[in-house]
Amino acid sequence: MNTLRIAWIAVRELLHEKIFYILASFTAASLVFSLLLGQLTYAEQAKLTLDFMLGCTHLSMALFAVFMGISLFQKELTSGSISMTLSKPISRTTFLAGKCLGQIGMQTLLTFLMGALTIAISSRYGADIATKATIQTTALIACEVAVLTAMTYFFAVNTGSITTAILSLGLFALGHTRDLVGSNLRKPDELFIWNSIRSFIPDLEVFNMKQLASYGQSISWTEFGWATVYAAVCFCFYLVLAALCFERKDILT
Amino acid sequence: MKAEITITQLTKVFPTGLFRTKTAVDNLTLEIPKGEVIGLLGANGSGKSTTLKMLLGFLRPTKGEIRVCGVRSGTRASRALLGYLPENPRFQRFLTGKDILLYFGKLYGMDGKTLHTRTDELLEVVGLGKAGAERVQGYSKGMTQRLAIAQSILNRPRILVFDEPMSGLDPLGRIEIRELIGRLHTEMKETTIFFTTHILSDVESLCSFVALLKKGKLEVFCPIRELLDQDCEHYEVTTTELSAASRNQFLAGSAFENSPLGTTFSVKGTEALTEILEGIKKAGAKVVSLNSKRQGLEEALFSDRVQLSSLISKGATP
Repeated sequence: MNTLRIAWIAVRELLHEKIFYILASFTAASLVFSLLLGQLTYAEQAKLTLDFMLGCTHLSMALFAVFMGISLFQKELTSGSISMTLSKPISRTTFLAGKCLGQIGMQTLLTFLMGALTIAISSRYGADIATKATIQTTALIACEVAVLTAMTYFFAVNTGSITTAILSLGLFALGHTRDLVGSNLRKPDELFIWNSIRSFIPDLEVFNMKQLASYGQSISWTEFGWATVYAAVCFCFYLVLAALCFERKDILT
Repeated sequence: MKAEITITQLTKVFPTGLFRTKTAVDNLTLEIPKGEVIGLLGANGSGKSTTLKMLLGFLRPTKGEIRVCGVRSGTRASRALLGYLPENPRFQRFLTGKDILLYFGKLYGMDGKTLHTRTDELLEVVGLGKAGAERVQGYSKGMTQRLAIAQSILNRPRILVFDEPMSGLDPLGRIEIRELIGRLHTEMKETTIFFTTHILSDVESLCSFVALLKKGKLEVFCPIRELLDQDCEHYEVTTTELSAASRNQFLAGSAFENSPLGTTFSVKGTEALTEILEGIKKAGAKVVSLNSKRQGLEEALFSDRVQLSSLISKGATP
């Protein structure tokens, strides 16, 4: 119950953050930009617009996850306001989970709002738009962003704001390119090192079906289900790790 | 006397580099009696706040332990017994004072009508009655401090932990908060108030016991009266209209200082002070001010050169 209370305060906190409105403006601007880009082509307007809009949703929400995570959690640590809450009879895990839950709730809502907007705008191009594929893509973006949020919280517990941003965005980039990196390595020792590292990097390409959606293709619900299970496992892994570190952390402020 | 907080061989070592460490609290052993106001005194960096943070579970002791009413500190059960006021309280600025109290009350497990009644009552107690409906972002430092005090007593705690409660306040704000703490102690007789400060006058007016920390070590722990009695022998007298002849007669070659206020000089001992005051009266001069000087104690507190134990002959029971 306390987790939900903290989550609700976190949602209200998000709505009072400047960075929230900056990111929201960036998202709106990128959606408009997608529409304009779609006009560049005559034959593939629907595909291009949809592809860009989903891409913008993906990028905006990834930035949202990292920067709002830092703002919500790290700012409490540095400003010292965390001590007011943690002096109450609640566990640190409750606090962390509450913050994370509030943020994920908000960003899931935003992702689906953007998905709905994408469907609404793209539908004016006619039959090319597959609603099922767009919904699946949006849901998988929400899953990926939840994993990224948990990763951000893990880094936020252990490092400062800038390092958290760099590591989270770095892991986000690596998560999408890990197969590409592996395929370019030839030396056995390099491959050995990379394979050891890559086992800690979640395969974020599992959640990427933007290309398929722009061609109107969806995936089977079984495949979709496995992707959400993978997201749940990765999310829990990073959040539990964050909670374990947070429980042992010295809070100096 | 039954101990409300038991601190046993408490040590906190912080890493300050790859191979360097700093001992913030060094083997501190202390028993805090129930229902008293205890001032934890010390200069900056003496380990006061570190001790409080270990009491609240924000920091993990390197060695030793703290027990709050028999419960290990840092646990949820121990925090349920505590009320905490941090040095610089910060709240969610978009919430109103009442919202803050309701939110924290729910975290304490309070709910419903009881919580609403309690928050209204507390807002009145701390003088934020109407301001309780305003957002915290419009609060002054003094109002924020009063709200922080209200949230600390929300759960009727057995122990109140105040970290520099008067820090950063203007003189009027300091007086208000000091009076508020004094009133809390009168109304909540069973509650132990444990607070840190480096301002002696706050300790004098509020505390019944004082613990002095120096470089993380407990220098002395005794009733405040014992400590002050040792240091009450010096007075500073300022007079006007004192003729040169009378001055030479009273001061007999001792140092004095002339200022726009008059002539200021120091007197040692209560008997000497009485004699001098009578002499001044006879000479037709006026006493502008008379202050008790606590120079010895202040020096001992904040200087590394003076050992407090040498100043205090009795009552020092570390």
